[in-house]
Amino acid sequence: MLTMNKISKSFITDDVATHALRDIQLHVNEGDFVSVTGPSGSGKTTFLNIAGLLETSSSGEYLLDGEDIAKLNDSGRSRMRNQKIGFIFQSFNLIPDLNLFDNVDVPLRYRGLNTAERRKRIEYHLDQVGLASRMKHLPSQLSGGQQQRVAIARALATSPRFLLADEPTGNLDSQMAQSVMSLLEDINKAGTTILMVTHDPSLAARAKRQIYIKDGHVSELTNKNSNLHVVGEA
Amino acid sequence: MFSYYVKLAYLSCKRTWGMTLLMVCAIGLGIGASMTTITVNYLMSANPIPHKSEQLFYVQMDSWEPNNTYDDNGDAPTQLTYRDATYLWQAQKAKRQSIQSGMAAVIEPADKEVLPFMVQGRANSADFFPMFDVPFLYGSGWDHQADLKKERVIVINAELNERLFGGKDSTGQTVRMAGEDYKVTGVIDRWNPKPRFYDTSTGSFNDVEDVFVPFSLITEQKFGRSGNTNCWKPTESGFQAFLDSECIWVQLWVELPTAQDKDAYFSFMNAYAKEQHQYGRFARTDNNKLRDVMQWLEYAEVVSDDASMMMAMSLMFLLVCLLNTVGLLLAKFLGKASEIGVRQALGASRNDLFIQHLIESGCIGLAGGLLGLILALLGLEAIKAMYGDWIRDLAQLDFTLVAMAIGLAIVSALLAGLYPTWRACQVQPSVQLKSQ
Repeated sequence: MLTMNKISKSFITDDVATHALRDIQLHVNEGDFVSVTGPSGSGKTTFLNIAGLLETSSSGEYLLDGEDIAKLNDSGRSRMRNQKIGFIFQSFNLIPDLNLFDNVDVPLRYRGLNTAERRKRIEYHLDQVGLASRMKHLPSQLSGGQQQRVAIARALATSPRFLLADEPTGNLDSQMAQSVMSLLEDINKAGTTILMVTHDPSLAARAKRQIYIKDGHVSELTNKNSNLHVVGEA
Repeated sequence: MFSYYVKLAYLSCKRTWGMTLLMVCAIGLGIGASMTTITVNYLMSANPIPHKSEQLFYVQMDSWEPNNTYDDNGDAPTQLTYRDATYLWQAQKAKRQSIQSGMAAVIEPADKEVLPFMVQGRANSADFFPMFDVPFLYGSGWDHQADLKKERVIVINAELNERLFGGKDSTGQTVRMAGEDYKVTGVIDRWNPKPRFYDTSTGSFNDVEDVFVPFSLITEQKFGRSGNTNCWKPTESGFQAFLDSECIWVQLWVELPTAQDKDAYFSFMNAYAKEQHQYGRFARTDNNKLRDVMQWLEYAEVVSDDASMMMAMSLMFLLVCLLNTVGLLLAKFLGKASEIGVRQALGASRNDLFIQHLIESGCIGLAGGLLGLILALLGLEAIKAMYGDWIRDLAQLDFTLVAMAIGLAIVSALLAGLYPTWRACQVQPSVQLKSQ
């Protein structure tokens, strides 16, 4: 499903190059739940951004569902993000002016679905995260955990095959964090592939696979599923 | 998606209402000032008879003094001598020709209770009415024979008809003017061409005259002439001497439907000039002019320099307002960087974001345009108050001008929004999403 061959990413400022990722080799199969851990500044978020097509790599090859990302233009990458990838962020990133219904509606608008189909999906996914009764509320009227559930509903609304979560429990208390983690596990069991960046070792341990990034290099810590595949260069 | 983007624009403007209000005011002020001056210029430079303005020609013959030209540009005089005008008119070489001059007289109402009053009028030949498509409420103009026979006939306007006959059909009735009875042949319906192209010498934006009588009667001296009279040579005493003089005070319009007609008439004019040259007149035989309506209005500088200058200054002011709007839009859109990042992550392309923000700019422009319209109306009222009645008809917004104001505001806002929108679309989503 997701294959990275020798992916590197450098940032150049004032003639000084910073290597965020170095020759990453990774293959993720459909249905995987992969946790990504590593110290601050190790390149976890850069890795996730490249995986989510929010950034492009400096070199290497990235194939998503067999499609070479380097060959896509901005519109192509946007379409790919909309159709195949869902995002969950640490700070939820809900749009404050829009109520829950309209927040979940955002990716569906870019999908070009008709009104009835959009409404059906929004109501279904808000119900799935237990917030169907509050769809007219603004994000500011919800707790952090509830906001993250809305973000998850939004990410799932387009039925993505691939869910990217960047510290999804980072802003939540432990009880809320467990709740969100359980939700992610349920989503994964339903068939969605998940790539999750986290600092929390206990949450990382609940993933089927754990990879570790340090100084731009990636290594596999566990391999619960036999049919995968990470090559690290630690 | 358009309605979705409009909804997003509304929400965005609601969130940053202070900044939005500033932008609406900036655009509104610019549009208000521009539309006020554009309206005056637009109406001043409008074609008053668009369907045949290219067939109507104003005749200029250079009978001015041999050693000096009429104006600094060396152009022909703006009016004709009585002698030249009547010759050209009597020749009947054009499809229609109207010889004319301003006049003024006192009307004595039949009702002795009503005091006599002064009216402004026009002494013209019969072709004046069909040439200029004058609309009639009752009756019509007079015929060519009435001109030749100096018949006491008169055409009055609707206001005078209301005043003298209570608005009823007065054709066949008599109007006593300057001590003589004139038979009413027609009543002009509301007709007030702006500019009043057929005589710019006495005010291009004056109202149409109250009465019209045959030009041939002017020699009877029953009523006074009005308008400009310029002489380069001393005249002898007596009215006949004045008619025979080199003073210019008569206007002549001709209707020439085709280019061939125009060429033929121009040749006729030049031949007449050459003939007169043999008698010691027309020092410059090739300096005659035939200008159509719009050429004549341009030559007569109907749009004053002041008005043009005011318009240029107001457009500069609009530019300054738009530059301020650019800055405000930039701040507004870059303040939405995090939302832009989120939308990109959720599948919005740069094109989607560009359209979204351009529509937001357009909505602000629309609001600014509506405010500008209100300010323009106030501005026009102020102009009316300052300049008086003569500008009354020029200081009005019609549908075209309203549409122009809205269009100008939206286009201006879209132009002002281009750079901020482009900058907003350059937002790196990864940076914004992490900085959240």
